[in-house]
Amino acid sequence: MSSRRSLWKYILDEFRRIEQELRSMEEEFYIKLKGVEVMRGCITPLYNVYESGDELIITADMPGTSKEEIDITVGEDYVKIEAPCRSPVRKIGEGKYILHIRLPVEIDQENVKARYKEGVLEIIARKKMKGVKIKVE
Amino acid sequence: MDGVSREIIEIVELEPIVGEDFIVIEGFPDVGLVGTIATSYLAEKLEMVEVGYVESDELPPIVSVRNGKILDLIRIYRKGNLMAFISEIPIPLTLIKPLSQKIIEWAISKKARMIVSLTGMPEPARLNIDIPKVYVLGSTKRVLEEALKVEGVEKFTDGYIAGIKGMIVKESFRRNFDALLVLSQAHFNYPDPGSAAQVLIYLSKLFSITLDVSPLLESAEELKLRLRDLMRRTAQAMQDVQKSRELELPAVYL
Repeated sequence: MSSRRSLWKYILDEFRRIEQELRSMEEEFYIKLKGVEVMRGCITPLYNVYESGDELIITADMPGTSKEEIDITVGEDYVKIEAPCRSPVRKIGEGKYILHIRLPVEIDQENVKARYKEGVLEIIARKKMKGVKIKVE
Repeated sequence: MDGVSREIIEIVELEPIVGEDFIVIEGFPDVGLVGTIATSYLAEKLEMVEVGYVESDELPPIVSVRNGKILDLIRIYRKGNLMAFISEIPIPLTLIKPLSQKIIEWAISKKARMIVSLTGMPEPARLNIDIPKVYVLGSTKRVLEEALKVEGVEKFTDGYIAGIKGMIVKESFRRNFDALLVLSQAHFNYPDPGSAAQVLIYLSKLFSITLDVSPLLESAEELKLRLRDLMRRTAQAMQDVQKSRELELPAVYL
């Protein structure tokens, strides 16, 4: 009974240790992110990358800018977004959004469209499909 | 299980909270920070006053300072029979169950009428939606019937509710205590003031509160920027409670 309890305690201690390590890594990430933002005066927007069928969808939360000022550069396997950010928030002030995303799949640079709505930028790109068609027998 | 017991969480009242028919609203951070935005806006516009806070060793050792005033991370505000829990941090995983139980016990001890949890319902196509829909889930038949009297609201029928909101409604169901979960279609991990506005419009109708949400919508971009860091941390915390499950349908029929 007592050996079972000590095993249980050992497992719990291990879980706590792993959790603590993860928290430390997370905290390190935030420190670096905020450090870069303060040093370079840039803002890393919150963003998501989804795959949907033959499309790749990238969204980024970029309030305080306008669609005319958003500069998007698209490569086969990356997207670079830059835009000014005008913020009335004192700590942020006048800044610049910079986001450089390495894409999980190659995209067709000729088939990319973007829209900006209520502070969210959405980019939809057609995936570059390589391969040959196979007939089902 | 060597977890956090609810005994080590304390709800501290700055002065004894007396009254009746309390409606306890919680807006702990999660999907789109909808609950956080809605509850904070409500507290500000109704000029609610701080009446208490939550104390626990499991909370991070941080104090919030506003205009030179030292504030606790999870605070309780009140105006009349309305009370609001506002948190500046996502609720740590170890606190979710004990805190939900503690809040319900405390609400019952205060003879509260109901607990109302405000949250976002993750909607991948949120960008295509101009006016997010509002859904409700009740822990009892009576609270659900009352909630559905408001025109335009829909009943939440199938899906998962992860995190403290789910725990509050489940524990209330077990105790036959009235708890209402109000969900509005929202961006999963971007602050969503537009969605919060719909929750507030619904609440204003349900509880006959006079509330103008246009200042909230006008300051949406500023709010989104201000809440960016909280959203980033909340997104991380949402992973801990498998919040992405809310995008799925339940796996079994029975």
